Amino acid sequence: MDFEFFFQQLINGITLGGVYALIALGYTMVYGIIQLINFAHGEFFAAGGYMGVILISYLSAQGLHPYACLGISLVLAMGYCALLAMAVEQLAYKPLRQASRLAALLSALGMSIFLQNGLMLTQGVYDKAYPTEITSGGVEWGLISVSYMQMFIVSLTVLLLLGLNLLVFKTRIGRAMRATSQDKVMSALVGINSNRIIAITFAIGAALAAAAGIMVGLYYGSVSYSMGFVPGIKAFAAAVLGGIGNITGALVGGLIIGMVEIFAAGYISGEYKDVFAFIILIGVLYFKPTGIMGENVDDTRV
Amino acid sequence: MKRLIVLAVALAALGLFLAGCGEEKAGEKVLKVGTMSPLTGPYAADGNDIRQGAEIAVEVFKEAGGIEGFTNIEVIPQDTACDPKQAVAAANKLINDQVSAVVGAYCSSSTIPSSETLAEENIIMLTPASTSPKVTERGLPYMFRTCGRDDHQAPAAVKFMKEVEDVKTIFIVDDKTTYSQGLAEGVATAAKAVGIEVLEHDHVNQGDKDYSAVLTKVKSANPDLFYISLQNSATGALMVIQAKRMGIDAILMGQDAVYHPQLMEIAKSDSEGMYCTFGAIDKDAPKYKEFLSKYKEKTGNEPGAYSAYAFDSATAYLMAVKEAGTSDPAKVREALLKIDFTGASKQVKYQENGDSGSNYTVYKITDGKFVPYWNSLTGEKY
Repeated sequence: MDFEFFFQQLINGITLGGVYALIALGYTMVYGIIQLINFAHGEFFAAGGYMGVILISYLSAQGLHPYACLGISLVLAMGYCALLAMAVEQLAYKPLRQASRLAALLSALGMSIFLQNGLMLTQGVYDKAYPTEITSGGVEWGLISVSYMQMFIVSLTVLLLLGLNLLVFKTRIGRAMRATSQDKVMSALVGINSNRIIAITFAIGAALAAAAGIMVGLYYGSVSYSMGFVPGIKAFAAAVLGGIGNITGALVGGLIIGMVEIFAAGYISGEYKDVFAFIILIGVLYFKPTGIMGENVDDTRV
Repeated sequence: MKRLIVLAVALAALGLFLAGCGEEKAGEKVLKVGTMSPLTGPYAADGNDIRQGAEIAVEVFKEAGGIEGFTNIEVIPQDTACDPKQAVAAANKLINDQVSAVVGAYCSSSTIPSSETLAEENIIMLTPASTSPKVTERGLPYMFRTCGRDDHQAPAAVKFMKEVEDVKTIFIVDDKTTYSQGLAEGVATAAKAVGIEVLEHDHVNQGDKDYSAVLTKVKSANPDLFYISLQNSATGALMVIQAKRMGIDAILMGQDAVYHPQLMEIAKSDSEGMYCTFGAIDKDAPKYKEFLSKYKEKTGNEPGAYSAYAFDSATAYLMAVKEAGTSDPAKVREALLKIDFTGASKQVKYQENGDSGSNYTVYKITDGKFVPYWNSLTGEKY
């Protein structure tokens, strides 16, 4: 009984942590490359969720198989958010690249408010429901139940992470990203178009956030225009916790925040879960300001 | 060149803004009614329902020829975002706009402070949705309430659990708002009094999407009934979906803030069989039908939970002004206390303290609709 309770919470925690990790990756990559905390990142997550529900509803109305709908929508929404992020970068961050960091940070906050209100005005204030036929079903062992959706979220997170790792460490673009993050001027001198690399970094981060948005929409059944804010803050905490700028760190941080939240809610009370998540964050920052995976920041950060 | 264009656009925008002001012509007497509700934020769905309900009441009055002595009736909507500070700011804004009455607010936590501000200027406030007992217990002469009270809702819900479902154990979850927590505590107290065991009373945070941790607790506690007291129907729907997916087979019961068409829209078949307490609405009443057709025509939506209450609040006020022949608050108050009419939501008859009585009914979600199931006043099933 107690073991089953623990195990069920463990599964819940991994699922939630996986979502946080995917959003945190975008924060961490953008920070790694231009030292900007992109507060508008949570809004890419929300925009991805909305794009997902619009596309899935449209495609299922055309009579496509639910899984085909999901697959196509996932790819298209990721592409859409990648373009959106590149546009945001061009508009709000690129002109400020030589300005103080505070200016860019304020621009990011402004962008976040702008995007959130844009979503509200175009999509309405009501929550939008995801079709449920894709998401039902699961496996049960006694008291423990794992839904197919949870399995899907975890496996997609792992898949996307592996893909990202391959991209960063095994391709030319990845090498250029790592070089740019170490020294923009020097890498430009050896022929790397740093503006292009920065745009690509934004695009990849936003695409991952969009995937997280769709998974959250499917998992919880609906999306709302303000859904980006809280997970955005949590994912930011996860990125800092893992060592901001570090990809593995974002994954570890996301999982820790997700687990702490779920276990605090499960064993103490739901009202304290955020408190504990942030106490851990403060503790890590106090004793190890670089974050958990912060040591070898120079060669792994993007 | 670029700067010139930016300047031109800015000036044009300013021009539009200025053109918006100064419309009021001298000598005309316009009756201004404010509405206060959360038009943005997580409660925007209910808030927009309230605004639209009041607007439709005004439209109905205008079509019927308006009110003698006034050239026009105007609605000025304000956003409270369910935030006490913003609600007080909204109240001040409405005072500046010289409204004579306000329909609102939604959250009790914003109705209470903003009503104090309005009371200083003797402005009548009619709340369609704030159910906290405190709203009418402060002795404010111009505070009226069209909906029911939490201290009536909680016993009604518990009576249903005991008498109809023969529930032995319950698990309660609220989201810590003034309203949801107060109601949940009311349910816990009432339940203990009739011998129902409260296995646990847990809390979640507003804006949470993931309830898996608390639902795992519910599952292992295995209660007969799971009482959901959340301030928002969309989050209520999320909790219902996740509860079903987790395989919780307890009876699900919610309250008036969860009662909204949005619940079924999001939770779909997962919400089937869930119970909710809400004021009884006679959907066959002519006034309700009139309201419904107008509402659909104007908004293209089904009315939300509090649309009819907002409609009735505004209607009651306009009737009272018509009766009194003036917008003078003391005279309108007198007329309001005399009013007794069948509204879209219920029989509206204000008592001396401003309340209009509660008539909680338990609704059961059947085929994607709220169907009246049990009447708390008579204790009988429909």
